[in-house]
Amino acid sequence: MNTHNTVEIGSMGRVAYARIAPNEDLVLGVEKLCLAEGFRNAFVRGALGSLVDACLGTRSGAFLQIRGPAVEIVSIAGEVRAQPDGSLRASLTGVVADTEGSVYGGPFIAGANPVCMTFEVTLEEWLPAEKPQAA
Amino acid sequence: MAPVEQHHFPRPRTLIHPGISSPVRINSLHSPSARHVRLFVAAGRSLYDGIVQPLFENGIENASLTILGGYFDILSYCVAPPDPSGKAVIAYTKPIDAGAGWLVFGNATLGRSMKGEPIVHCHAAMRTAAGVVKGGHLLTESCIVGESGVSALVTSLDSFVLQQSFDPETNIPLLQPRNRTERADEHA
Repeated sequence: MNTHNTVEIGSMGRVAYARIAPNEDLVLGVEKLCLAEGFRNAFVRGALGSLVDACLGTRSGAFLQIRGPAVEIVSIAGEVRAQPDGSLRASLTGVVADTEGSVYGGPFIAGANPVCMTFEVTLEEWLPAEKPQAA
Repeated sequence: MAPVEQHHFPRPRTLIHPGISSPVRINSLHSPSARHVRLFVAAGRSLYDGIVQPLFENGIENASLTILGGYFDILSYCVAPPDPSGKAVIAYTKPIDAGAGWLVFGNATLGRSMKGEPIVHCHAAMRTAAGVVKGGHLLTESCIVGESGVSALVTSLDSFVLQQSFDPETNIPLLQPRNRTERADEHA
């Protein structure tokens, strides 16, 4: 666990937009988008679409499943970070609405959020200028 | 249906859509950089007009927007339950009138419809006139911005276009990124 506050100086690079097709996973889809576009770090600049069912994490480690179809993705904030082991990891948090419009929020669990009709996402590449400094 | 908290990893469901599944699952394009614009939509305008016209006048026809909070005189939205006809997996409901309420936040995509007109695809969370927080697909032509207006951060996508085209897999029209030289019906 990281116990230090850090500031990472950097700049924004390219901007990518994708349509991710049905039955692809939301979180892994964003990671694959970064692979396709050559992004190593990125921020979500906009995202909307729908899921078959939504699965959000809880503090206890349980899974909150919102049944669809379709569960509308209302909004997502998140980032993708290159990992020391050579992998990419997307961390996405957001708000969804069920088939009656009731809303739920939390972190999206990788592998458990299949796209229903479409997922539109805009990512802006993040280019760190230096290693993070302890603040 | 109320959400279920469970302690095992929920097996995702793979839905069968009416059309053939394309082998291309992620359709993406990029620009070398993004242009950012702060948009303010004044009271009394529809959200659609307030997005489309000022951005067009500033040379922006394809963009991703984060819409910040604001009061609306009229908020109208719909949700997407299963389609009983089977033509598609889901079908949008008739418009739901949320009344005069507060738009908590939203995300929108600005592109071009199959008719060649601007289209705004917008999802948002809102507090309805009844005081209930709801979410769904905002009907931007019917949503009228209330006093004090509403702001948005616009990320302009300049190197390509977002074109609505018929998607044979899902059997509905969807926005897709296209190179500027591609015709609207290519890849449909």
